[in-house]
Amino acid sequence: MLITGIKSRPVYDELTPMASGLNHLAAAQGSGGKPLVRLLGAMTPEQLAATTVLYSTESFTAQNYLFDLQQFRVRELAVFATNADAVRGLDASLATAKMGTRLYLSGSEGFIGTSMQVATSYGMNRDEVLREHAGSFVRRVWCAHCGHYSENVTHRVFVCPGCELNLIVRDHYSGRLAAFQGVKADSEVPGEMPENEELDT
Amino acid sequence: MTAISGSAAFKTDEAYTPEGKYLFRNSPEGVRRLPFPFPDDDYMYSMNLEPHVPAGDGALRAAFDIDEHYVSECAHRAQMLSDMPGVHYLALPHMLEAQWDLLELIFESYARDFPEHFTLTKNGNEWRWQNRLLGIDDSFTFGDPATLPMDPMEYATRQAQGEFVVLEEKDNTLVIGAGMTTQRADYSLKFNLGMSFFEFHGPVPKLHEMGILDRALKFLLRMKAGHPVRRVNWSLTVNPRLETSVETLPEWAPDRTTVTSENAGEKVYLRIELQPLHRLPRSNAIVFPVRTYLVSLAELVEYAPDWAKRIHRALGSLDSELVDYKGFHRYHAAAVEWLSRHDDGAPLASGYPWAPDGIQPNAH
Repeated sequence: MLITGIKSRPVYDELTPMASGLNHLAAAQGSGGKPLVRLLGAMTPEQLAATTVLYSTESFTAQNYLFDLQQFRVRELAVFATNADAVRGLDASLATAKMGTRLYLSGSEGFIGTSMQVATSYGMNRDEVLREHAGSFVRRVWCAHCGHYSENVTHRVFVCPGCELNLIVRDHYSGRLAAFQGVKADSEVPGEMPENEELDT
Repeated sequence: MTAISGSAAFKTDEAYTPEGKYLFRNSPEGVRRLPFPFPDDDYMYSMNLEPHVPAGDGALRAAFDIDEHYVSECAHRAQMLSDMPGVHYLALPHMLEAQWDLLELIFESYARDFPEHFTLTKNGNEWRWQNRLLGIDDSFTFGDPATLPMDPMEYATRQAQGEFVVLEEKDNTLVIGAGMTTQRADYSLKFNLGMSFFEFHGPVPKLHEMGILDRALKFLLRMKAGHPVRRVNWSLTVNPRLETSVETLPEWAPDRTTVTSENAGEKVYLRIELQPLHRLPRSNAIVFPVRTYLVSLAELVEYAPDWAKRIHRALGSLDSELVDYKGFHRYHAAAVEWLSRHDDGAPLASGYPWAPDGIQPNAH
C-alpha cells in the first residue's frame, strides 16, 4: 500500500478578487487572515462594500490577523472563536446567498476542506471558489477503521482517539470527507511499526 | 451451448471469510475459462483496452459473466452489506438516473446471455424480473424507485457478480458517484466517493509518469453507449477472501505473514479482475465493473499448467514498485519459489487466452 507520493492532495490557488462576482464571501482561519488582508487590499471600494468576511481566531500556530482585517470597509466582518463555528457561519451565509456569489477560503487544509464541503452542498462550482493555503500543513485525518476524524495531525504515525489503533497517515486526500486517510500502521505484524516522521507541517 | 450447463454446476456452500473457513474451490472447467491476465512473460502496466465483444466460450462470452460461484457470491454480498452498512454500497443523491441505467444494462445482459437462468419481461415501463438462480420473481415500474425495496443499483447488483463503480462525467473528468464494492481490493469506497479520475488513481505508482492516465481518461470520455470496452487487471490475495477493503485491513493483512514456500500453492490466490466498461445511455455516466475471479496457485498448476508457468515468470520479473503497491512484498519470494518447481522453462505462447494463438491453459 502506497503511503507517500500519492497525487490526490488538493492544489491551491492564490486569492485575488473575482471580477465576475456581485457578492463576495471571504472566510479564513488563523494564518489564513494574511492572504485575506492581501485580497481585501486588492479589492475596489465597490467590491469591499459587497464583501462579507468570516474569520476564526482559532490557530494552530497562534497567528491572529483580526486587527488588520478590521481596517477594511467591508459590508460585514463576523468573528468566530473556533473553526467549526466559522464553518457553520459560512453555511448560514451561503443559505441566503444570491446568484453571482464568489467564495474565498484561506487557512489550514482542514478548514479549507470542511468549508469546501459546505460550498459543495450549495452546488457552488470550482470556478466560483478560490482557495489559498496558509500556515502549517497540519492534517485532518479520517480513520478508515472506526471513522473518527482527528484534527491537526502533525506526525506520520499516531494513535487514533476513536479506536486506539496505531494509524499511519497516507498522502491520500478525500475532498468529500475533507481528510487524509489513516490506516492501521502495524496491520501485517502487530507491534511492527513503520518509522515515524514529522509530516510536512 | 453455454459455459455453464445447468444450475447443478452452481455451488451454494462456498465461503469467502475465515468464519466460513474459506470453503472455496474451482472446478477444472472453472479454472480453464478464466480471463487469464498475463499475455507475456514480463508484466508491466498498460491500458490494454479492447472492444468488449464476445470472445471464446469462457469468461468473455457474455457481457457480464457469471460462473459456478454466482450463488455463493451473491450470498456473500448480502452478508457483507448487513455486517457493515454504509461501507460497501454508497450512491450520491443525483445518481438515480444512472442507477436505472445500470439496472437495465445488467438485467438485459443477463437475460440475453443466460436465458436459462434470467428472464426480463417489459411491458412499457412495467417490468418483470425473474432470477431463477436466486428464486426472485419481482415486478416493478422502471424509473419509479418506490416500486423497488431498495435503490435500483443496490437491487440489481445484489444479484450480480463483481463490483460496480459508477462514474459521472463532470468538468472533463470522471467522478465516482456510486459503488457496490463488497469485494474491493485495498481501497475505501467511502473515502473515494466523489473523487475524480486522477485523484482515485493517486495511490497507483508509475501511472502518472507513464502518461497512461491522461490517455485512458481521454479514451473513456470518448466512449459511446453500446460500444463497451474491457481490460483485465490482477493482484494476489492470501486465502480466497473477496472482501479486502481498507476498512477491514487489520483483519486480513496478518494473513500475508502466513505464506511460506511450502504452503504458497494453497494459500496464495491469483485475483483476476475483468473490467468491462460501458457508457450508460440516459445519464451519460460510465460504469466500471470489476468482476473478480480467485484461483489458487495450486489450482493453476493442476488444471492450467501453462498459465502456472506464465505467472511464475511474470511474478519473478515483476517491478518492485508494483510488488509493494499490490501489497505482497512479504510473500512474493515464497510464491515465486513455490511456482518455480512447476516451470520447466518451455517457451509459451504470447497473447491473452481469448486472442488467436494466445496462451492456453495447457499445451495439448
